[in-house]
Formats: sequence, C-alpha cells, structure tokens
Amino acid sequence: MAMNKPKRRFRRRVKVCRFTVEKINYIDYKDIDLLREYTPTNGKILPRRVTGTRPAFQHKLTRAIKRARFMALMPYVGQ
Amino acid sequence: MPLYELGIIIDPEVSPENETGALERLEAIITEAGGEVVDRDAWGRRQLAYPIQKKNYGVYHFWKFDVGGDALDKLNFEMRTNDAVMRSMILNLDRELRRKRKMDKKLDAKAAKKAAKKQAAAEAAAEED
Repeated sequence: MAMNKPKRRFRRRVKVCRFTVEKINYIDYKDIDLLREYTPTNGKILPRRVTGTRPAFQHKLTRAIKRARFMALMPYVGQ
Repeated sequence: MPLYELGIIIDPEVSPENETGALERLEAIITEAGGEVVDRDAWGRRQLAYPIQKKNYGVYHFWKFDVGGDALDKLNFEMRTNDAVMRSMILNLDRELRRKRKMDKKLDAKAAKKAAKKQAAAEAAAEED
C-alpha cells in the first residue's frame, strides 16, 4: 500500500523579509536593481505571499515600482 | 521649506543647448522662489523601459531641491509646456522620509532596549558569581 512508502517530506524554504533584515526603511524608485528582484521578467509585482515581504514594506515596494514604471525605468509589461 | 525630488526625462534628439536651456529655466524658477538646488544627479542617456513619444532613449536628470510649495505649479507648468521634456515627476522627499525617520527611531529604541537588557543580565550574572 501507499502507506508503506517512505513519507516524502517537503521542506519549505523559509521566507524572510529582506527589508526588515537589512533595515532598509526607504525604498527609492531609482534603485532599479533592488526593485527588479521583486518583478519577474513579465514585469508584474511579486505578491508578498511569494517573497515574504512584510506588509508595510510591500506597500512601499509597490509604490516604488509604480513610480519607476512611470519614469520608464521599469516596464509595465515585460517580454 | 520642504525638500523635493525631481525626476525628469529629456528628449535625446533635442540639441544640447536646448537641454541645458530647459534645465536652466527650471533652476531659475526654483531660485526665483527663494529655493536652492541641493543635489544634482545626471544619469545621462539611457534606454527607456518602453517607448515614450515613439522614442527609445531618454536623458535622465534627478535633482533634489528646496522651495516653497508655490513654485511647484510653475515648475510643473514649465515642464509640461516645454517640448524637450518627455516625462517628469516631483516627489515631496520630506513626506517620503518622515516614515523612514520614524522607523529608524523605533529601531534605534529597540536596539538600545536590547543592549540595556543584555547589560543588565550580564551584571546580574556577575553579581551572582
């Protein structure tokens, strides 16, 4: 029976909020390298359920990304 | 007077005189209102993430400046009517950084508290010995 098989264990990667750890308290829209980590190539903003970002920082992050988009530093739609 | 941050994209096909002229006019508006440009950051020609006005490149300039709020309307009007300016954005940096300062303070307080607690614990341990 399937029960006899060794149980497969998935270890979920521990997600940490980078902004809390590194104490980045202001997210600048000009800091494109940082913002790019939170957008896949399609240009969408990764949800905090994926990245583990704290809500307060997620708000700031989305703002910064949207500003960067307006200034054509980041794409609205990716390739 | 609050600190503002200006981001501006200038048409790359415009002549250099026109570019500096546009920037000088903006600076004139700021200084006339009793303000001052504190910081200038020129990124130069850069590829845009998407075409604006059918152009793939833009010349980026970022400034930080101090002015009273009345000059902002003038600045925005000037940038909107100037053909050399493709995009612009003014942020109130004081407002942006207010929360940062608050959080910095909070973090500092937390760190101080932790250090004090650690020290107290160490002292208590020393006394026991």
